Amino acid sequence: MIRSSPNLPAPHAPQAERAGRRRLSRDERLAYLLLLPALGAVFVIVTIPFVLVLIQSVSADDGTLIGLRNYTRALGNPLLYDAIRATGVYSVIVLPIEILLGLSFALLVHRTVRWPGVRAAIYVLAILPLVVPPVAIGVVARLVYAPSYGVLNVILERVGLTHHEVNWLGDPTLAMLAVASVDIWQWTPFVYLVLFSGLQTVPRESVEAAQIDGADWWAQFRFIDLFYLRPLFLLIIFFRLADVLRVFDHVFILTGGGPGTTTQLLSLYIYRVEFKFFDSGQAAALAVLVLVSFSILYRLISRALPLERT
Amino acid sequence: MRQTFLRTALATVALGMAGVLYGFPLYWLFVTSLKSKAELFASSVHLIPHNPTFAAYTSVLIERGFWVLLKNSVIVCFSTVVVTLALGLLITYPITRLPVPPRLRVNILIWALSLRFLPPIAVVIPYFAIVRTLQLYDQPIALIGIYSLFNLPFAIWMLKGFLDEIPIELEDAALVDGASRWIAFRRVLLPLAAPGVMAAGIIVFTFAWSEFLFALILTATPNSQTFPVGVQGLVTQFEIIWNDMAASGVIAMALPLVLMVIGRRYIVAGLTFGVIREK
Repeated sequence: MIRSSPNLPAPHAPQAERAGRRRLSRDERLAYLLLLPALGAVFVIVTIPFVLVLIQSVSADDGTLIGLRNYTRALGNPLLYDAIRATGVYSVIVLPIEILLGLSFALLVHRTVRWPGVRAAIYVLAILPLVVPPVAIGVVARLVYAPSYGVLNVILERVGLTHHEVNWLGDPTLAMLAVASVDIWQWTPFVYLVLFSGLQTVPRESVEAAQIDGADWWAQFRFIDLFYLRPLFLLIIFFRLADVLRVFDHVFILTGGGPGTTTQLLSLYIYRVEFKFFDSGQAAALAVLVLVSFSILYRLISRALPLERT
Repeated sequence: MRQTFLRTALATVALGMAGVLYGFPLYWLFVTSLKSKAELFASSVHLIPHNPTFAAYTSVLIERGFWVLLKNSVIVCFSTVVVTLALGLLITYPITRLPVPPRLRVNILIWALSLRFLPPIAVVIPYFAIVRTLQLYDQPIALIGIYSLFNLPFAIWMLKGFLDEIPIELEDAALVDGASRWIAFRRVLLPLAAPGVMAAGIIVFTFAWSEFLFALILTATPNSQTFPVGVQGLVTQFEIIWNDMAASGVIAMALPLVLMVIGRRYIVAGLTFGVIREK
């Protein structure tokens, strides 16, 4: 703040040196002049809600302070642990499958598809699911899994695999799998794209040298490719985890958290506490708990990220 | 030889299966949107529509009035792009071009990254209270504000990547020739950075277009509801009209897919904060 002030005393230096120094300080001043309003505004926009939610979390609806009562209520609610468990199950299904499938496809295309045209086509097709609104994907999933019109049942019956309608969205296990399948459908291509471009950075010479030494495809992967892909796995886990922990849209569309609370992930649960139960004290306490635990998680995971930090 | 053949066969089968798993649901969405109401109530489900019609599209856009939501979406997303890019340039120009302490630069980048991990649901609860107090509830500006904030991390990292690649000497030459910093920025840097800025804009537009949670909570009427909120309305109502729902899904997908054709080289860069760059 002080440095951007226009009354900054001009440096009293010998003439020759002065020109250079003055130029530098003017640039510096410009830098702060540009940065401060933008960063200040963002800082305020981020901080005020946080302070507000903190206050809200220790007050009753009429504004009187009630200490940690909202927190004890939030933590004493068994639905919270259902939501945490559902989020955990969802992540445990979705993340490994996406990474394994994405990796397999990346290796497969990298090792077998030589024709650049096909590679380019796969690239474009793989991007397609990433840019489609999750709400629209939820609609697609509805058309696949829903009772009566869902095309999955229609196909299974025509092929003769089932003889009665499978209630995909009504059975707790199947509903979780259905919801997870949507995530896998949308985000495996992301893993594929990241790992595939990682494989392009593996130097040809080391692969050829290994092949001359008689390395089979597994040894090639294990000792060469994996070395180049390792930082990318961290990156994928970071971005996928950030998304998986905030999943809301397609679950809201597909099951709305049901049947019962089996697919009620953390976001859906907090949404329900605030906007269906209108319990803003408990919702605020939950928001604070989520913010705190997520920042701890972020601290742990972000250190390992291979982002350039210069 | 035999091994190559086996590999090619495996690749063909795997890619073919992926093609079906991705193609068929989208085909089903499109086909359903082309069905008439009468066909939906037919006793057996037709995998190929017998009398394709665009009736569902006119029903959604005109009879249900969703064209207003589409207009809201375009206004909100476009404004978000403008605000995000302006803020993004205000922050990335100094940290790539001006003498800023390295610590500050790193801290800004790390802080932007941490915003990416911020769960929207935890933010929307206080934001909802603020928006109500400021009487901005059900106003597009409330969405524009929060979309810009949530897209800023992407914008900062992407723009930083693009600006870093442009040699600083080009601007220095202009400065030595007596141009002001503003002129050097507008006439030298901006034209060179234009493709990157465009790409960042396209990505921010796509993200804002997809956003649903904030829109669901901060809007109530067609005054500010965005298109995804309308789609949700068709899904959660008591009796689902399949063809209308499918048509709304197709409309929601259309624009991002078109934009993707322009911005395809940058999508992965945007999603990974510029770590993965396509050549």
